[in-house]
Amino acid sequence: MQDQDGPNALPSLSTLSLSDNDKRENHGQRAASTGLSDRIFANTPVPTVILDQTLTIRHVSKSYYALSSRTPEELIGENIYGFVEQKVPVPDVATVRGAIETAIATGNVQTIHDIPTPDGSFYSMRTTPIVEDGELLYIIFEIENTTQEHMRQTELREQLSINETFRILVETVKDYAIFMLDPGGHVSTWNAGAQNIKQYTREDIVGKHFSNFYGDEDRAADKPGKELVVALRDGKCEDEGWRYRKDGTKFWANVVITPVYRNDILIGFSKVTRDLTERRAAETRLISAYEESDKLKSEFLANMSHEIRTPMHGMLTALTLLIDTGLNAEQKELSSIISDSGRVLLQLINDVLDYSKLASGSFSVGSGVVCIPDIIVSVTRHFQTTTKAATRLETSLDPRIPQTLEGDALRYRQIVQNLIANAVKFTESGVVTVTLTLDEESGDSLTLLTEVSDTGIGVPQRAVGTLFTPFTQFDNSATKRYGGTGLGLSICKTLAELMGGQIGFRPNDGGEGGSVFWFTVKLRPVRRVDSVEKLSSLQAEGAYTAQPTDPLAEVKRIATGKRLLLAEDNQINSRVMLRTLKSLGFVSVDPAMDGMQALSMVKQESISIKPYDLVLMDINMPLIDGVTCTVEIRKAGIDVPIVAMTANALKGQAEAYLAKGMDDYITKPVDRGLLVKVLARWLRNKSMLDVGTKGG
Amino acid sequence: MPGPTQTQDVRSEDGSAGFPEFGDSIDQTTFEQILEMDDDEEEREFSKSIVYDFFTQAESTFQKMDANLEKKDLAQLSSLGHFLKGSSATLGLTKVKDSCEKLQHFGARKDETGTKEEPDDEKSLRNCKVTIEQAKTEFKEVEQALRRFYRDDSS
Repeated sequence: MQDQDGPNALPSLSTLSLSDNDKRENHGQRAASTGLSDRIFANTPVPTVILDQTLTIRHVSKSYYALSSRTPEELIGENIYGFVEQKVPVPDVATVRGAIETAIATGNVQTIHDIPTPDGSFYSMRTTPIVEDGELLYIIFEIENTTQEHMRQTELREQLSINETFRILVETVKDYAIFMLDPGGHVSTWNAGAQNIKQYTREDIVGKHFSNFYGDEDRAADKPGKELVVALRDGKCEDEGWRYRKDGTKFWANVVITPVYRNDILIGFSKVTRDLTERRAAETRLISAYEESDKLKSEFLANMSHEIRTPMHGMLTALTLLIDTGLNAEQKELSSIISDSGRVLLQLINDVLDYSKLASGSFSVGSGVVCIPDIIVSVTRHFQTTTKAATRLETSLDPRIPQTLEGDALRYRQIVQNLIANAVKFTESGVVTVTLTLDEESGDSLTLLTEVSDTGIGVPQRAVGTLFTPFTQFDNSATKRYGGTGLGLSICKTLAELMGGQIGFRPNDGGEGGSVFWFTVKLRPVRRVDSVEKLSSLQAEGAYTAQPTDPLAEVKRIATGKRLLLAEDNQINSRVMLRTLKSLGFVSVDPAMDGMQALSMVKQESISIKPYDLVLMDINMPLIDGVTCTVEIRKAGIDVPIVAMTANALKGQAEAYLAKGMDDYITKPVDRGLLVKVLARWLRNKSMLDVGTKGG
Repeated sequence: MPGPTQTQDVRSEDGSAGFPEFGDSIDQTTFEQILEMDDDEEEREFSKSIVYDFFTQAESTFQKMDANLEKKDLAQLSSLGHFLKGSSATLGLTKVKDSCEKLQHFGARKDETGTKEEPDDEKSLRNCKVTIEQAKTEFKEVEQALRRFYRDDSS
């Protein structure tokens, strides 16, 4: 460009300049070139000054005038150095001089960048020497506003510096594994923390899939893949779990996976992993320490209440004896106060004992054969005597409820007893009704709803929320008037929940006011033993349809000709049982005084013309106990119905007896009504089976 | 007066007294069943003989308990507790029954309710001793009441 434009351009300058040099250097080509160089140099948007070899200003662009706010008269013909630093954004004279001299000496373009101005703009100054055949002809001196470029560069530099900072930060962090995965889940970067935590070096792991950090089970369930899906869907996936190091050891990790997009295109995932093993261990230690202290507290409570109970019993016993020694009226009154207070205290101790057992989790709900309607009847009978004269106590039992179910009789009874006691206590007159209904029946469980409604003082709305909270009573005056520990209902609540149910309250909207307390329990139907199934199938065939309604009459009818064996080591019990059985019409009952005797009698009679129709078997007997005896009887292939009689029939023991080959069980002391039902059940079956066998 | 409080102590069957002279020592329902076995309500031959047999049985059992307490035989004490529990329960002698049940548990190296192990044999023996004494007291009490019931002035 220089070679072509130089000779053409230079003469045209004279048209703009008024100097002699101009005229001297013209060679008559003015007309030909006028216009082009003129117009270029006059109109270039880059503020430009052209100097001759003496550094005199020969030509100035319009843009330079604009920039310097000077007129041609002021500039043309003047030395360049006289103008620098005057309104033109250039560095000091020395710098300008240095640039110009270097340009002349080297023949190269010299540029000074980023010259700041007071208004915040930036300029660059370019000095271009025009040399022909080794001789300097002109110097083009250009100023350019580079503010925008400067800003862009600055930003870029800053960005680079930030990126660098981040890179260093990430690479050197030791406590966090921070790395990138490609969109397919392969590790693409690795940091010191990752190496520290996971033991893999960069060379080991880059390019491998991140599922390497997961356990076999997680991998089998494709947990890594699912985490990426979740991260894509939710923008983030956080997880805590076991992760594995290179050497196979595991650590408890918190992992955050975040998808990374560039221009809306997924370029991979960032993954940050923290090793929380220590923290988790600390948490576990804390929790176990807390649980331990809580357990100790509850155990202490339980032990204390327990220890207090024994002397309390002693005191109350002694007090009863004292009252009987013939006291005067005043002494009697005082000792009855002691007696009443003692009983309240004993109740409180019992409640606390139950409550602390419940709280410590050492309270278990047993499983035995229970007859819920019987419990209701028995409990209400118990309260009949203490119910106020103006109050009626009624029961309503759902006939659909089976006579036997599997559950904890004692605990069910405790709830019912408590609710009825409350109802009776708070009802001056009216009616207390206990309603038992079959709430729900599914394949292997029945939900029973028990409701106790009364026409008593009711519960104020504000107290409803805290009814089942321990140690609360809804009214202080009520406490004074009615007494109680404030623990009863909360114990009931826990018991109901232990039995798979719920407890609740609602006002009695029957018109007379009062309360309805209800609770549900889940119970399982009793597994049927073989002979009952045989019986059921017989019934299904229509062999027997008539179901006698009165068990007593039925037993008396079928007792005729039946032979029973009564294995009972306690003479008193044996005599009472024999008498009871006799009154039911069983005249042929043989007593056995121990298990061994019972076994040999059953064996002996089994081959006689008339073997025993049923065995009533005590559990605890000398020589061999009732369970062992039963096992031996079954081993001998004798399938006589065996009914256990025991005082220990709680917490799953009944099931154990049934499992050992017994057919049924009855608690001691033997209730006559219950005995009648059991005998009816088994002897009726036997009669039917006998007939069934004969008939079929 | 010992009517139902807020929660019944279901560990011991709290027999309500239909026969005022028995207090709460005897469970009415159970004892009534025994009385029902009498052919003659005046003579009460059967129930009386049973009850008096029980007196004999209890006395001899208490003697055995004392002997075994001497021998520090916890297992035997437990067994004797269970034995007497059976007959006292049959007659509805609630308090004696409860104490015998406790003795059964204490002798089995457990706590009063039979739910917790008691590692200290000396403590178990002490528990047994106290409980036997308590059972004796309760027995005396109920014996008196029953003798009065059967109009026996020999006691």
